Amino acid sequence: MSGSLLLTINLLAILSLGVIFNVAHSLRYDLQSGTSKCISEEIKSNAMSVGKYTVISPNEGFPLPDSHRVTVRVNSPHGNNYHFGDHVESGNFAFTAAESGDYTACFWTPDHKVPVTVTIEFDWRTGVAAKDWSNVAKKGQVETMELELKKLYDTVTSIHDEMFYLREREEEMQQLNRSTNSKMATLSFVSLVICLSVAGLQFWHLKTFFERKKLL
Amino acid sequence: MEVRSEKKMWMVLVMVTLSLVGKISSLSVTVNELECVYEYVLYEGDTVSGNFVVVDHDIFWSSDHPGIDFTVTSPAGNVVQTLKGVSGDKFDFKAPRSGMYKFCFHNPYSTPETVSFYIHVGHIPNEHDLAKDEHLDPVNVKIAELREALESVTAEQKYLKARDTRHRHTNESTQKRVIFYTLGEYLLLSIASGLQVIYIRQLFSKSVGYNRV
Repeated sequence: MSGSLLLTINLLAILSLGVIFNVAHSLRYDLQSGTSKCISEEIKSNAMSVGKYTVISPNEGFPLPDSHRVTVRVNSPHGNNYHFGDHVESGNFAFTAAESGDYTACFWTPDHKVPVTVTIEFDWRTGVAAKDWSNVAKKGQVETMELELKKLYDTVTSIHDEMFYLREREEEMQQLNRSTNSKMATLSFVSLVICLSVAGLQFWHLKTFFERKKLL
Repeated sequence: MEVRSEKKMWMVLVMVTLSLVGKISSLSVTVNELECVYEYVLYEGDTVSGNFVVVDHDIFWSSDHPGIDFTVTSPAGNVVQTLKGVSGDKFDFKAPRSGMYKFCFHNPYSTPETVSFYIHVGHIPNEHDLAKDEHLDPVNVKIAELREALESVTAEQKYLKARDTRHRHTNESTQKRVIFYTLGEYLLLSIASGLQVIYIRQLFSKSVGYNRV
């Protein structure tokens, strides 16, 4: 008896704790009927990505009218389709990125005589934020503090990896700039050579032309 | 036995709710004229921080684009923050009240621009929250502060990455333009000199006496 009461108290404590720590929200977008809106995110290869979308009904508590359904398409940078939802109210998708690049999620509502604005709540997480922490917690007897610190450690590792990536990109950009610099130098020199040679050709051609015409 | 299963269930539930901590969103959107994004702020006094960078589309003939306007509107309807004519900036403010905040990008010109943005809502439990719930340690406050500090580092990184992408676009476009314009210059030069020669020949092709200048 006392055990179940304790459990109830614990559950209440958990829920309040959850409320305090739970600041998870999604981004909301408005979509005019007949238009499409695409959101893209740059994802590195082998990164986990999860997404969840819902259409918010304009009237609270009433079922969603048919005109508020959306068609969703999630594409990779090369055009492969990772998720397709036709006339759905909500859905979710998860994938591991095969190649790095811009992944797009496009929403589309069909056009109606009366233009409606559909509100979509969309949550797309990649990398660290996509990791499923409830599984990690379930695997062993992990304490709250330890889990939080694990998460912070993961965040720090991802920051470190990101720094490496930025450093690589900067190196590539330096190469690009150097090549532009040398190309400009070469092309200016070649342009000078071409200018002089064209002038020389002109001069030579006109000289022979006038000599032929017995003017010179 | 009973106590252990209780504790396990407690742990599991805490983990499940704590797994939803922290909101990260780093996305890019094409702004034709006006694009608005809504984000819900749960607590009054939360720090909302973020950044956005306008990534140019390939503009071949002009180098700079004029910039876009950014506005943040609170749920009460008043404008919390506004930035005009910028091509990318950071922002942060303390939310005066909880509710749905609107972040709008306005493109005053007709060319569509791609904006890559990142918005983060951060909450640090304070003494009021500590008093409300006895399971909340002061350590949790420190952990939340640490988490927010790391979030700001992540935000800065995302900003740098977006700026680096834009810089890269500009550099690639510069290289393409250098090559294209130089080759075009060669072509035009040779065509012009060829036309010159042809014209001079034409001038002198008729009888010599008639054309003696």
